Amino acid sequence: MKTMALKKFIPGLTVTVSDASKEASDTSVVFLKKVWSMIAPVLLAFVGIGLFLLFWEGISVFLKRELPGPASTLTVLYDMLVNPFYDNGPNDKGIGLQLGYSMIRVAKGFGLATIFAVPIGMLLGASKLFYKMFDPIVQILKPVSPLAWFPIGLVAFQNSTAATTFIIFITSLWPTLINTAVGVASIPDDYKNVSKAFGFSLSKYVFKIMIPYALPHIITGLRLSIGVAWLVIVAGEMLSGGTGIGFFVWDSWNALSLERVISAIIIIGVVGLILDRTFLSLAKLVSYK
Amino acid sequence: MEDITDKLDINNTNVYHSGLGIQIRDMTISFPTPEGTYVAVKNINLNIKKGEIVSVIGHSGCGKSTILNAIAGMVKPSKGEVIVNYKTIIAPGPDRGIVFQNYSLLPWLTVQKNIYEAVDSVFESKSKVEKNDIVDYYLNKVGLYAHKNKLPQQISGGMKQRTAIARAFSINPSILLLDEPFGALDALTKASLHEELIQLWSSDQEKKTILMVTHDIEEAIYLSDKIVVMTNGPAASIGEIIEVHIPRPREKKSFVASPEYKAIRDKLLYLLMDAYAAA
Repeated sequence: MKTMALKKFIPGLTVTVSDASKEASDTSVVFLKKVWSMIAPVLLAFVGIGLFLLFWEGISVFLKRELPGPASTLTVLYDMLVNPFYDNGPNDKGIGLQLGYSMIRVAKGFGLATIFAVPIGMLLGASKLFYKMFDPIVQILKPVSPLAWFPIGLVAFQNSTAATTFIIFITSLWPTLINTAVGVASIPDDYKNVSKAFGFSLSKYVFKIMIPYALPHIITGLRLSIGVAWLVIVAGEMLSGGTGIGFFVWDSWNALSLERVISAIIIIGVVGLILDRTFLSLAKLVSYK
Repeated sequence: MEDITDKLDINNTNVYHSGLGIQIRDMTISFPTPEGTYVAVKNINLNIKKGEIVSVIGHSGCGKSTILNAIAGMVKPSKGEVIVNYKTIIAPGPDRGIVFQNYSLLPWLTVQKNIYEAVDSVFESKSKVEKNDIVDYYLNKVGLYAHKNKLPQQISGGMKQRTAIARAFSINPSILLLDEPFGALDALTKASLHEELIQLWSSDQEKKTILMVTHDIEEAIYLSDKIVVMTNGPAASIGEIIEVHIPRPREKKSFVASPEYKAIRDKLLYLLMDAYAAA
């Protein structure tokens, strides 16, 4: 290939390439291609981000800086990230602390939801009777915006922080429950027959067949659940106030600091991405195929 | 009620004294379908002696697997009964080991674990060491000891079926049920598995009764003492039972060349191609 290219550019050139050097140049081409295939996505991502910043700057200029541009926003973001854990009383806390409050609420609500959703999902998936009984309820409650549950949470817990955790719980319930049920319901007859033929006990069936088979489905459910939970926490904390990333966004808006609002948006996005990727790699880990 | 118990007792005594491994009495199996009742097999009567190897052969849809599933206890007869070890079969049990058509290994468990779970389930009272010894014994028997920690997707089809056979033998059942066990394997693997199966069977004093469903004529003759030829479904029944009186051990190459083999093969070919030709 290389020789051909050389000939094209230098007419009359005769090149004798020994097999060994040809092989060497081939491997170096392969190596360069490999390096390029690794660099290219990063490079393209930077180009994309650059174009986006340019577009953002354009909008900002067009709106006569009513919307802060990238430069001023990124300065504020930098300041927020440099000192994330300061605490100057209820209305002035570092972004790290606020994120922490939100994460703890998500972890509590999501964790509790998982404890309920997985066994209930398994029951619905394993028993047609239970499925027929409870599927209509699930189908009706699933499309309800979790925020609609907020007043119920307030009444139940008399506390807006607990109510926020409650709506995260409700949010996280459905995707995990439904995916678990689908996973368990789709266990092939072959595996059920193995269990029957060799007289597996119920616990052996659950732990050696049902859970291993449904695990990829369950993890997918958890991934969807944590995604929605992270969406809902911002809205929930805007309602409940006090602490958390959602409160931070609302508080910054009231303080008329759009730089802080946009910075928070960026941080929320990055954390959401990290959560998603964590569960994605977990899903790959438990996939037996 | 009393009548039925009496009848069962008589049956059981019969089975015990006659040395029968499996007895099928006047069995009909039908399934409800949206288009009405589908009769899979009708009026099946079959006696299989203890330690016999019997093949059931026939075209697709002749209810071969249905008969096997009834003996396994996976399917209930609509009429009649299957008697194994003095008892009418009502459910699957550890006295019957099954080798499924498509291996049916659990893909998330290693070869060793696939067998272990069966052993653990059947011999609950044995210690962990004893159970592991049983698994290792059968892994060695089928030559898979070196591969014991591999997952099913990491081994060949032949090795998967060896694992399934080891699993079925490991629970030491008196009856072994094989549902088209070698159908998906190439000819060479098939031949060596035939020999391994016979070795496993004879190393256990030829005590186990084996019923195999197949559509491979050569395989049926090579392995069996009796070949049950099914008529065509629906409502299939037993067309003919051919006895194979070729003495064991059978050596495959000379066996295939023997006049007895040829006679039985020609008869089977006639039955399957002409008498009960596929519709």
